[in-house]
Amino acid sequence: MAQVPPLPFGPAAGGLPGVPDQLSVETTVDQERAIAQPGVKSDELAGAPELGFWRLAVIRFFHHRVATGALLILAVIVLAAVVVPVITGGLYSIQDYRHPYKAPFQNWQHILGTDDLGRDELARLLRGARVSLMVGILAVVGYLLIGGGLGALAGYYGGWLDNALMRFTDIIISMPFLLVVIAVTAATGGVRLSTVIIVIAATGWFEIGRLMRAQFLVLREQEFVQAARALGASNTRIILRHILPNALAPIIVSATLGVSGIILLEAALGFLGYSIPPPEPSWGNMLSDFEQYLLSDHTYLVIFPATALVITALAINLVGDGIRDALDPRQR
Amino acid sequence: MTFYLVRRVAIGIFLLLLMSAIFFTLTRVTPGAPVSVGENPRIHEEQVNRRLHSMGLTDPNGKPYSLPESYVRYLGALVQGNLGDSYQYNEPVRTLLMQRLPNSILLLGAALLVALVIGIPLGIYASTHQYSKADMTTSIVSYVGVSIPSFVLGIYLLLIFAVFLKQTPLHWGFPLFGMHTGGVDDPLDLLIHMVLPVTALAILQIAIFSRFMRASMLEVLHQDYIRTARAKGLAVERVNYKHALRNAILPIITLVAIAIPQIVNGAIITEGIFSWPGTGQLAFQAVVDRDYPVILGVVMLVAAGTVFFNLIADVLYAVADPRIRY
Repeated sequence: MAQVPPLPFGPAAGGLPGVPDQLSVETTVDQERAIAQPGVKSDELAGAPELGFWRLAVIRFFHHRVATGALLILAVIVLAAVVVPVITGGLYSIQDYRHPYKAPFQNWQHILGTDDLGRDELARLLRGARVSLMVGILAVVGYLLIGGGLGALAGYYGGWLDNALMRFTDIIISMPFLLVVIAVTAATGGVRLSTVIIVIAATGWFEIGRLMRAQFLVLREQEFVQAARALGASNTRIILRHILPNALAPIIVSATLGVSGIILLEAALGFLGYSIPPPEPSWGNMLSDFEQYLLSDHTYLVIFPATALVITALAINLVGDGIRDALDPRQR
Repeated sequence: MTFYLVRRVAIGIFLLLLMSAIFFTLTRVTPGAPVSVGENPRIHEEQVNRRLHSMGLTDPNGKPYSLPESYVRYLGALVQGNLGDSYQYNEPVRTLLMQRLPNSILLLGAALLVALVIGIPLGIYASTHQYSKADMTTSIVSYVGVSIPSFVLGIYLLLIFAVFLKQTPLHWGFPLFGMHTGGVDDPLDLLIHMVLPVTALAILQIAIFSRFMRASMLEVLHQDYIRTARAKGLAVERVNYKHALRNAILPIITLVAIAIPQIVNGAIITEGIFSWPGTGQLAFQAVVDRDYPVILGVVMLVAAGTVFFNLIADVLYAVADPRIRY
């Protein structure tokens, strides 16, 4: 027996976004805030008038058990990646030819065993985590600067910039992203981490660009923007102070999910030998020798980096979805 | 409609030209020549020049072509279906692509088919049983599916089903490598070889299709005409599968068109991992060997395919949904 779908009554389905559901003769402060902040429903604010939008979002996020757990795991990974390599120093590159292929979980000296050159696997994994997270975060900052900036301008002003952005996006979307990044990396000469970050940022900002544009297209027509304009606010002020704060919610979600996408992309590049070169470990280049380990007794050298990659990406995605739910409770 | 089609084809050709220009420039400004004295001190200057000329990089006097000049020459050859010669295989890129393309189409087609056949019913079931255990499970599985890149999934699959399975008392596992040379003659053998790479490619698309189908179905199920149909007293199944499904399934057409470049993207590494002799593996190897004419050829092939399938999707969409007019 199939469940009867809920009927589209009630506040969840009806009403325009950003417009209070109950219209009363006298508008309260809360309702005015609701008009200014399309992400929040008026009755929610009325229930907790002393809390702002972001405070409410944080509370909602921590009510989401899975997302909180994922955030915890992510925090452990980030902390370990930042702190442990500082303590262990160059351990990840110290070779011990007498003890290659030490099995994991056998002794405390090398908890996760050693690789083909006797280097400590755990130290290498954490060093690799550092690379992954650094690329992920810096490239997303690039997405936000390029995509956010151009998207905002295109959405606000329209015209040729808007057209150019949309056509350019069409082109990039129809290309095999991996080959694009590889071709650009090769063309800019040499494989350095900075190149990889810049190339990923320069070729991947379109999603955020489109999102930002869509947000600005909607928001620039809203009453509070007209009010600001009527009061004589300059375009810069309207963009930065009035529209941008209201456009941020989906951008934050997209940026969070973008980090995991970039980490996976960087791993794929490293796997192909187009990211940070071998003496430095990255999860991608640790996997690139997988063929020689598959049929050996050292499959753990494949399993560890692959699993680290999946856990990190999964945790980031879960946190991203948690943020989405927290910022826009209607979208559950 | 005719005007729309002409315009779309024109835009498509323009996109391809632009893309070829970008990629051509990128591969040409890459430092290092395919043949140089620095690489092999014993090679004679004259031999180097002859090799470079035979690769179409210099004119008969040994002077390298300028960038615009060589691009025009490349386009001229492209129109005649000549994509240049591979640095690595000493064969025309077109021959290489044509040898590999059928294998890739077989693999990618199978992956797409599997993804559709599993993903769509899964999404429909999840939407009509919203918040049930099956729905939750589907959500979780599709979640994990999206978070695992296809190359990691491929390595996991090989480990579990080709390596560990053989060590169990079963003493049998899926083959580690792609098809045998005469693979097409033995369908069963070919099928067994296809299982793992198809799984690796299909899981991401299953996740995407089922999520999308669920969302699309839920959106339709909340519309007024569904409520009307229910209010008339029609059976739930009839409303779900006759009234709602027909509208909810339409956007899948577009999604398939979007999925094709994604699958191709995933195939570059997946074919490499499973040693599947397709264009993806060719690209994988070309990337490792820095064999730019081949990379350029694959990119152009994929780009042309993407533009083509997007066009087909838009036309199909207009045919399927009479509300859409161009």
